[in-house]
Amino acid sequence: MTRPSAAIAGVGSTPYYFRGESAPQTIYEMIGKAVIAAISDAGLEIADIDGMAFYATGFEASQIVEQLGIPELSFAAVVAGQGGGSAGILDLAAMAVETGRAKTVVCIGACQQLGRRYGQSLASLATTPEGVLSLTSGLSGPGQSLALVAQRHMHTYGTRREAFAEVVMASRAYAATRPEAIRKRPLTLEEYFAAPMLADPLCRYDFCVETDAALAFVVTSAERARDLRQKPVNIVGAVHGGKRDWGRAFFWLNQPDEVFTSSGAGAVAEKLYGQTGITPSDIDVALLYDHFSPLVILQLEDYGFCKRGEGGAFVESGAIRPGGLAVNPHGGQLSECYVIGMTHVREAVEQLRGTAINQVPDARLALVTGGPAPIPMSAAILGV
Amino acid sequence: MTEITSAPDISRIEIPMDIWTTPFWQAAAEERLVLPCCGDCGTHRWPPGPFCPACRSQQVNWVPAGQAELYSYTILRPPGASPDEAAPLIVPGLVAFLEAGGLRIMAAIVGSPVGAVKIGAPLVLGWVPKGDTRVPVFSIDLGS
Repeated sequence: MTRPSAAIAGVGSTPYYFRGESAPQTIYEMIGKAVIAAISDAGLEIADIDGMAFYATGFEASQIVEQLGIPELSFAAVVAGQGGGSAGILDLAAMAVETGRAKTVVCIGACQQLGRRYGQSLASLATTPEGVLSLTSGLSGPGQSLALVAQRHMHTYGTRREAFAEVVMASRAYAATRPEAIRKRPLTLEEYFAAPMLADPLCRYDFCVETDAALAFVVTSAERARDLRQKPVNIVGAVHGGKRDWGRAFFWLNQPDEVFTSSGAGAVAEKLYGQTGITPSDIDVALLYDHFSPLVILQLEDYGFCKRGEGGAFVESGAIRPGGLAVNPHGGQLSECYVIGMTHVREAVEQLRGTAINQVPDARLALVTGGPAPIPMSAAILGV
Repeated sequence: MTEITSAPDISRIEIPMDIWTTPFWQAAAEERLVLPCCGDCGTHRWPPGPFCPACRSQQVNWVPAGQAELYSYTILRPPGASPDEAAPLIVPGLVAFLEAGGLRIMAAIVGSPVGAVKIGAPLVLGWVPKGDTRVPVFSIDLGS
């Protein structure tokens, strides 16, 4: 089966909430609202759903089926692991549709940070014999761990904090027009450098926003999608996987030198471009997973938008400011909303439908990446 | 005033062990830093675990870690600390062992002027008591 054979036919989302403010809704109530909205957007019925795809340990499909009254599932799968698989749900959904296992797959992603904050997730490692080996160093969150990567990138390639600032300022410039963005106010270089350092070389602005929301995407065959309500957005390519030399990412930290100072996306980038025959210069919109600003720079390198080690100079040249290479024109997770990569998929769809708020003229191809995190990493190219 | 790096508060951390990490902590109790090395092919690995990733052997030799240098680091100020106060500076360091094929472990960089904390700096091993064992920490070797 050659791709694209599957397409995104519907998108649904709850409002975006600051961390904790989605209460008293439960995460399953938010998921239900997102699924209903996505099905309605596609012009389908809840009863049409026969497949579900999740990532990062996922959700209980049974609970969603029961609450929404979905009659029968013939496919329910989760991209393995905790980390970089967000774009991989599109790979699973496309596989289900291509193989005939399901006709209408909803891809679901959601987060709700009540009590436990994701940024302190390493602290839970205290309970494991392996995890405690890092915890005794004072390390307690992925941002701190990825600060080690950013620090080494600066040392190896001369990358400057001005480059991280560029990523944040570009994100904020886009967010200014986004009604739902959590951080909308434009940011100056002076304000960036005045911010408190959280994990040197990262300051507060280098960390993504902490938010609650649920999003859902309806995937069906490209052929069927053409007869539905919305302009179909084809899944041109989607991959998940990764190499042992990236492994558990910031939980391991023993990558070979060149991989250590990367986003770990080399393997999935190569596979995705190989599968589709698309090159970086073909991409109109790049939705790069931006939980921490330096990782945008490292992904620009891994996905071939600039050479290895030149990401800092690339963004400092103004290359990703509005009007340049369109990177996260929704404001991304740094400024708009963090829903473990799901808002990137939504923005890709809106750009390709031509309905985005910060519309890139005549956008035809969008790259969506999963988080630089333990493998499987993931990425997808969507197109019209 | 030169700021000096501090050890993190590990009083609330418990150290669970399994059969693959116990030898590390047993040696640490005697202030010996040892790393797992495959008993068949000689490949170092971290963290300690049941297989050599190069040859799948389950034989392990625990070998002295040897000379250490700083591979990367971050600087943390504990939450709530005001920038005006002399807040403790916590520096989680990624420490590389040259004689162990560059193998890296995380350890706090303590008792060092923050300005001397640089990638590539040679390190001196130290220990912090913790329950029945000790936790390895490092300081910058200012004598070199």
